[in-house]
Amino acid sequence: MAKSLCRIVISLLFFLPGFASALQDTIPEDSAGFRDFLVLQKEVPGLGARFFVAGTRTLDLNTPDSAYGFAQVDSGYLSPIYIDFLQAAELEGLLLSDSVPYRLDYMVLSEPASAAAAREFVAGRIRSGDYLVKTGPEDEVEDLVALASNTRYAPVEKFRLKFVSDYRLFGVTLTIVFFFLVAIIMITSMLIMKAGKNKRENLQKEYSRLIVDPLTTLLFEKDLGEIQAMDQSELDSFFPKNLMAKPLYQHELIDSIIGLNKKMKGDFKEKLKALYKKLGLDKLSVKMLHHKNWDMATMALVQINEMDLVEALPEVKKFTNSKNFHVRSMAVSTLLNLSEKVDLVFLRDQTYPLSHWQQMNYLRIIRFVSPQKDLKLGILFDSKNRSIRLFGIKLVRILGRVDMIEKLSALAGGVSDEEKIEILETYAALGAYMESAFVNECLRSENPSLSLAAAKAAAVVGDAESAEILLELVQSETVFRNKLAYLKGLYGLDAARFAEFTSSDSHPELQDIRDHILDPMLQNV
Amino acid sequence: MKKILIIEDDKLISSLVQFRLKKDGYETHLVADGNEGILAIDALIPDLIITDVMMPFRSGIEIIHHAKQSQPDTPIIVLSSLGEEEQVVLEAFNLGVADFVPKPFNPNELAIRVKRILK
Repeated sequence: MAKSLCRIVISLLFFLPGFASALQDTIPEDSAGFRDFLVLQKEVPGLGARFFVAGTRTLDLNTPDSAYGFAQVDSGYLSPIYIDFLQAAELEGLLLSDSVPYRLDYMVLSEPASAAAAREFVAGRIRSGDYLVKTGPEDEVEDLVALASNTRYAPVEKFRLKFVSDYRLFGVTLTIVFFFLVAIIMITSMLIMKAGKNKRENLQKEYSRLIVDPLTTLLFEKDLGEIQAMDQSELDSFFPKNLMAKPLYQHELIDSIIGLNKKMKGDFKEKLKALYKKLGLDKLSVKMLHHKNWDMATMALVQINEMDLVEALPEVKKFTNSKNFHVRSMAVSTLLNLSEKVDLVFLRDQTYPLSHWQQMNYLRIIRFVSPQKDLKLGILFDSKNRSIRLFGIKLVRILGRVDMIEKLSALAGGVSDEEKIEILETYAALGAYMESAFVNECLRSENPSLSLAAAKAAAVVGDAESAEILLELVQSETVFRNKLAYLKGLYGLDAARFAEFTSSDSHPELQDIRDHILDPMLQNV
Repeated sequence: MKKILIIEDDKLISSLVQFRLKKDGYETHLVADGNEGILAIDALIPDLIITDVMMPFRSGIEIIHHAKQSQPDTPIIVLSSLGEEEQVVLEAFNLGVADFVPKPFNPNELAIRVKRILK
């Protein structure tokens, strides 16, 4: 600690004399030098200069237009205090050129002082760091203060530049503004949509109220013939023209008529259908078929189907291969339901695969309409679509179309294994004994699924050769499940051969299968 | 004049039935849901109730329960779709409904059944 203090004191002893001598070098000792020094500084805060001219002069020093601007005092003339030493030097030059004797007084903090005092004042300011000495003429270009004083002050512009240049601030602000904007747009849209929906719902309620009375009156007070014979003016008295022009009213009327049609029976149904056509709603249904939204097109198909609009069937046919599942399904259902001559060509040409749901749906309709209509099922076998061909074979089986066996027989040789399995099931279901050769051929197939399906069919429509093949298969088969299926086929076909075979072979696995087949409790296991 | 209470949520169907029964000279009252139906049974004390099974708030079975407790002698006709479960229909008959009219139906046929029951 003592060492450090000693070092500081020694440093100060060395530093202060050096600093004092540097000051002496900066501020000249002589009065002329000091004056030049002040002219170079131009201004030193707190220091000024004043000229005094003694006595009464012939030279005009104090008139308003005088270049001197001196003020007259008791003993002479006194100039203003100059804080700019450059101006003071100019005045001094003027006095010298006019040969006017003068005295220069320094002013320290507005008080007269000697040159030595002024010099000491300047030295004190320099020491305290309040004043920085200029050592040469000012370069205005490099002087920041000078530059700043020349630049226009524009705070808004400055802020804007800063805002844009700060990309993070700009990005955040932009995001917030964007979210606010989106929120406002969404809320406004929701409000508009909600208002629209409410308006629509109110109108729907009003229209359905307006529809009830005329519809009820027409259904009870007019018979079918009278409805069909109604002219436009009479229709207008029930359903006003101005309302009929409104799509929402038309929509409500269609919904009401279709809803009633579903819940009514007897002549009411016929009256509703006649009214539907009389009001021209059938044309709207056909027009709606071509709507770009699939749900509207499907709704139009439902309307055509419900109201038996047979005249719209050519249009409906165009939608049987629609890319939309619902439209396609509904179009086929409508055609199956309404078409008098169901030739099923539209189904044959369908390129999309039939789903199980579609098959079930079509089958339900076909089963319902098949007693009244001549279904040309054979057309389906010519389809390029495998799922349609399979559906055709299933239809033969489910509808019990024995007359189609010959047709199936003709194509059975050249179809895929999946179709062969379906044909085998059909032969078994219809008892097609004459097709045993095909069954035997399938029994020999290398495809286990086809061979097993053939074993199942052989139990019903097999012959002696089938039994022989089955025995061969049992002996060569290693998979338990397949062996069981073959033996089941053999048991169904020829119980005596089955008993003979199983009693001659004491293999435990074979005995297990035999017990399984003969146990009535396990028949369906 | 005999009073008939029709409890049916389909406004068009109830209006048709009302129109047909009014023609036969009955006083008819419409309500559109189960809750209103139960209140109307107690308030009106009808001579016959025609009710749907599937309705808002309370089912037709609950209405039949209530009617059989508060007015056991009032005959009830159930007007409902065939698609509904057989169990529901059987339950309605077990509770003592006078008749069951399946939808789709013919209002004239319903009017004949009403006439027969109220004779």
